[in-house]
Amino acid sequence: MTIEVRGLTRRYGDVVAVDDLSFDVLPGTVTGFLGPNGAGKSTTMRMVLGLDRPTAGSARVNGRAFAELRAPLREVGALLDPGAVHPGRTGRAHLRVAARTNGIPTARVDEVLAQVGLERAARRRIKGYSLGMKQRLGIAGALLGDPGVLLFDEPINGLDLDGVRWIRGLLRSLADEGRTVLVSSHLMSEVQQTADRVVVIGRGRLIADTTTGELMRGLGARVVRVRTPEADALLEALRGHRVARAGVDELHVSESSSAEVGALAHAAGVPLHHLSELEQSLEEAYLALTGDAVEFAGHG
Amino acid sequence: MGELFARTCAAEWTRLWSVRSTWWFLAAAWAMMHGIALMAGVSTAGQPDPPVGDPAWGIAPIVVLPAQFALLAVAVTAVTAEYATGGIVPTLQWTPRRSVLFWARVVVTTAVATVLGVAFAFTCGLVGWVAARPILDLEGAGVLGTVAFVLLAGTLLSVGLGFLLRSTAGGLVGVFLLLLVLPALLPQFGYEWLTEIADVLPGTSAIFLLTEEPSGRGLTERGSVVLMLVWAVGALAGGWARLVRDDAG
Repeated sequence: MTIEVRGLTRRYGDVVAVDDLSFDVLPGTVTGFLGPNGAGKSTTMRMVLGLDRPTAGSARVNGRAFAELRAPLREVGALLDPGAVHPGRTGRAHLRVAARTNGIPTARVDEVLAQVGLERAARRRIKGYSLGMKQRLGIAGALLGDPGVLLFDEPINGLDLDGVRWIRGLLRSLADEGRTVLVSSHLMSEVQQTADRVVVIGRGRLIADTTTGELMRGLGARVVRVRTPEADALLEALRGHRVARAGVDELHVSESSSAEVGALAHAAGVPLHHLSELEQSLEEAYLALTGDAVEFAGHG
Repeated sequence: MGELFARTCAAEWTRLWSVRSTWWFLAAAWAMMHGIALMAGVSTAGQPDPPVGDPAWGIAPIVVLPAQFALLAVAVTAVTAEYATGGIVPTLQWTPRRSVLFWARVVVTTAVATVLGVAFAFTCGLVGWVAARPILDLEGAGVLGTVAFVLLAGTLLSVGLGFLLRSTAGGLVGVFLLLLVLPALLPQFGYEWLTEIADVLPGTSAIFLLTEEPSGRGLTERGSVVLMLVWAVGALAGGWARLVRDDAG
């Protein structure tokens, strides 16, 4: 149960939307798919699902091209654009069509409608649904065939706080059941809360493919915050380090650790009132990573 | 392959009947056809010199001529509504084998529009027969076969155009132009070459098969059948190629 993307490229005329992208999405994890708007996340997902043709490269799901699957809903569930449904059908009819295409018993339709909390709206036409309800309907469609691989494109868009919390729990439990979950977002804070791994792209290119923790630790060094009444003496002791003075009695030490700073202060006999590592948020790491990618977007 | 195609057809069946536009178009076709049949029957009965012994089925082609467009609209919108709403994206996620989707949609929409159209034409004949009683006869139902062919070829053309143009307005306008407007309009200008163009349009063939008009332009039944089939196959080939080769939409 994996998604393998290899050298995936898509050009629209002169514009390269996705540029030689390679990564794997592994079972049992929620993989966040990050990038600024227009980075190529949706185009990549559409190519994984066989909706758009790659200019070069390939995307495979469970070792095969998606377009070769005979009952794709049983292997891959996906939600791209929740508004891309016929508004005249009822939510239930929409899912019954889906069930029929893949030979799934229609009893399953009512199950997933209940699972996403839409059973009361199931017999209403979709044109009366809010965006959040359409999201839930799309998620119901993704879960319909009980697939091992799931793709969600910006699934929290349009959801209220309850819905957001529900999605987080759902993604977590799907991964904990051993499924492969790829979820795109441009909101770092969201991915920080839910994803085990992150694939970051900018301007169609891979920027990072790592665990969430590593992304936060490894990119942009940790900063140690230290307060002391003898700041000048500590500055002397930290010679050779990158130190910024953040106040009369406060220093910020880059690319170091609290253990190192504490030891140096002890050796120099400088008393400390405060010693901590500032946790860099994924947001900051992400902005540092994609800064270039965004910067150039205006010129492309 | 058979099982996959069968369940794709089943899904297409549900898809077609779960939107209101299908019901509206069919209701419009039914009302138009039976209304015209009733009037034709009544007026036949009221004629000073009634055509005693004429087959009541002669009403069928007359009612189908205008009402076919409501039936063809079912076929066009069955395809193009998905592009207008974006519904083609989940559709192709569920059925990524595009040729399978294409043929399932062709088979289901064509069968529904043709079978119902012929059934309506049949009941129209009965309506006319009752309304004109005892003037008309129930012999010679073979004309219903012609009606079936014209509807079949027209629906195939409509589905093909829908896949090719991916637009409801474009599809409906295309069907109207090819089947009604251009065949009627082009000969009116009096240029021979325009009339020759009109003679190879599918609408001219359809009208000729249904009404044996226009006479004197050298049209034949066999030629009209071949021409309609060529148009239908051409539109299907174009629509299939666009569906299979292009991005989802």
